[in-house]
Amino acid sequence: ILKTTYIFILLFIWTRLGLPSPLRPICDPRVLDRFIKEARDTEFAMRSCSEGCSLAEPLSVPLTSVDFAIWEKGDVSEQAQEVQSGLWLLAQAISAVRVSITSTALHSLLDNSHSNIHSIGQVIRSLNFPEYTPPADGTVHEDTWRVSSTLELFRVHTNFLRGKVRLLLSHAPACRRDST
Amino acid sequence: MNPRSPPPTGSVSVECGKLQYSSHNWRGTQQRAVMCVCVCVCERERERETYLPRRRALCGGCGGSRALDSGGRCVCFSGTMSPVRALRRCVFLLLVCVRSVCALDSKASLLVAVEPEDPKCFAEGMRDLTCFWEEEGSRSPDDYAFTYMYQETNEESSKCALTAQSVGGSKTRYICRLPSVQHFVPLDVSVFQDGRLIYNRNLLIDHVFLLDPPANVTVTQTGEQEQLRVCWLPPALMDMENSMMYEVEYAPTGSHMGKRESVRARSEIILHSLQPDTRYNIRVRAKPDGLSYSGYWTAWAPWVSMTTPPAEMDLLILALCVVISLILILLSLTLLLSYRRFLLKKVWPVIPSPENKFDGLFSVYGGNFHEWLGVGNRGFWWSPTFLLVEESPSPLEVLSEAGFTAPVPVHPMPFKALGLSKKEVEEDERTGGQDSVLMGRRKGKAHPHWVLEQLQSLDQPSVPCCELHTLEPSDTYVSLNYRSQQDSGAMSPLADISEESLPLQVLFESPGTPTSFSDLESVTYSSGSGEISSQSSLEYPYGAWPLKGPSYISMTVTDSGISTDYSHMSWGTTGLGDLAMAYTNEYKNKVPAPRLPPHGHTVYSYY
Repeated sequence: ILKTTYIFILLFIWTRLGLPSPLRPICDPRVLDRFIKEARDTEFAMRSCSEGCSLAEPLSVPLTSVDFAIWEKGDVSEQAQEVQSGLWLLAQAISAVRVSITSTALHSLLDNSHSNIHSIGQVIRSLNFPEYTPPADGTVHEDTWRVSSTLELFRVHTNFLRGKVRLLLSHAPACRRDST
Repeated sequence: MNPRSPPPTGSVSVECGKLQYSSHNWRGTQQRAVMCVCVCVCERERERETYLPRRRALCGGCGGSRALDSGGRCVCFSGTMSPVRALRRCVFLLLVCVRSVCALDSKASLLVAVEPEDPKCFAEGMRDLTCFWEEEGSRSPDDYAFTYMYQETNEESSKCALTAQSVGGSKTRYICRLPSVQHFVPLDVSVFQDGRLIYNRNLLIDHVFLLDPPANVTVTQTGEQEQLRVCWLPPALMDMENSMMYEVEYAPTGSHMGKRESVRARSEIILHSLQPDTRYNIRVRAKPDGLSYSGYWTAWAPWVSMTTPPAEMDLLILALCVVISLILILLSLTLLLSYRRFLLKKVWPVIPSPENKFDGLFSVYGGNFHEWLGVGNRGFWWSPTFLLVEESPSPLEVLSEAGFTAPVPVHPMPFKALGLSKKEVEEDERTGGQDSVLMGRRKGKAHPHWVLEQLQSLDQPSVPCCELHTLEPSDTYVSLNYRSQQDSGAMSPLADISEESLPLQVLFESPGTPTSFSDLESVTYSSGSGEISSQSSLEYPYGAWPLKGPSYISMTVTDSGISTDYSHMSWGTTGLGDLAMAYTNEYKNKVPAPRLPPHGHTVYSYY
């Protein structure tokens, strides 16, 4: 009976998470901290990447720089859009890189990074930010940067999570209301 | 006279010692300039009167000359400040400069020890970056060029203005402060000396934080033993409050063995396991935790002292010890008491003695089993003998000194006794076990007619008259005793028998009461056995026959003083004489009347 109850609860939670209905805000900073740690580990792993780590085509990645003087005065919804588009770009880039890399160990790391990005997207959605719709033509209007190696890619990936994404989540209005 | 305050134009610079201070354009309504006065223009221009700087001032006299009609005008002109103001301003600026220089000095020295790369850069807040390096000599900062460029951005490289600072005599420190910084992007820094690249470094600004030490460190007692609480303020930087880790060092005053404790994300800690009543010195330092932000350990905050509360546990421990020791003592005493009997049994084992099984064997007869058998245990010991008795009871003949010519009424008892004895014997033969009745009951009834009455009431066939004799008190006679159950009072006379040295006593008591011998305790046993077997008592009527219990024939024998040995009797076993002997004294005590034959004894026989 306990087992079935446990399974039922898990299913319930999963279905709840999968629904696009308003989710409970995920405000725990440890969630993102874990993703940041894994991104760092992936970046370190990429340093030892030897084959297939040079990209044939440069990939577009978001800008990671944050000027606090400007960021503090910025609009939260704009920042959310910026973050979500950046995440989308990174997801695209990681998918592209996965094809070219041959090492299976790195494959697992890449898959993990991809799923993490997807989870972060869900966290952002849970905070009631307006949803981001990727552009149809594949280009973004925000400034981007182009990387030509996986090491650069994952460095950008780590910096993006540490910087803009973390700032967005830690200063989300939904969380601030909860924490009073 | 001077309603208007013409706005002076231009800015003036005032020398204030060696610092340059630029004053802004005085606008009359805004901040005051260094020296703006209203000057009255006098006729003679040389003479001027100065007034305190005000927007408007009245022109007074011109010192002799006449003021012009145009009135005065405000003029700001350069000149030395009033000494007091200048001093105040200089001191203020000096302090500001010194403070920043001092702060930089401490941090720079800290960084020099930790960071190997040049230039050493650190961020004190979220919007600044300070880079420096030290060189021998004292060259001008213009010889150097400091360029930086943010990577992964579309920005160009920029140049930073350098300042020089002399350090430690011969060295010079060149400092660059970036006006604005960007985080989470790599920064590429290059230093050129005379156009030649000397340093190059790539760093992330959010990884080189070197903050101020934690402020407001307070240490308080928690109220518990051996504990102190340390609180401090986290750095007041946005987004940094949750990303800090702290290190607390504490040591007793005077000791050099400090202990360190780490704290993450909390700005207080409780120190445990401290020595009681000791003064502790505590200091704290901070560092970003390394996940999102990273950096160097800050300088230690100044030492803060607090004394731990004195030890109070002694009283409690003492009370506990006392209680526990009391409990232990009680337990040991209990064990000892319960163990003592066991111990006694072990150490002095009780020698099993058969005394309780054999009444009077050791106490009365001194272990003489034969003697004891004759008196004491009548029950089954007597049974084989009484079987013999049953089989062949023989008449009892008593020889006495006195004649037997006494009239019957005078001595009915002996007469009766004799008669009854024979009769009873015969009856016993006939009944085979029926109890005989005591004939010569003398308890409290020394009436000479008593026996006659008893005889008359006795529902027995008459005793052969020929054999009736009257016995003197000194005569020896045998009477048969019978005892019933109802008699309990008759027990007492028997019990009160004192020890007599008379050999023969007449006893009319039932053997239920103890018949004590002088030096033997057979009374108890005889009475006991008599209780078992003798169902008769002195109060029993002659007619009363006990219906149950072992029947017995008791004989009371009176004697003038001669002990009679009845051992030869067929139904008297060896113990019979003893039995007779046993009760010699009894009778005397039991029978209060002096008329009663003083000598006599009851012979009990059981079967």
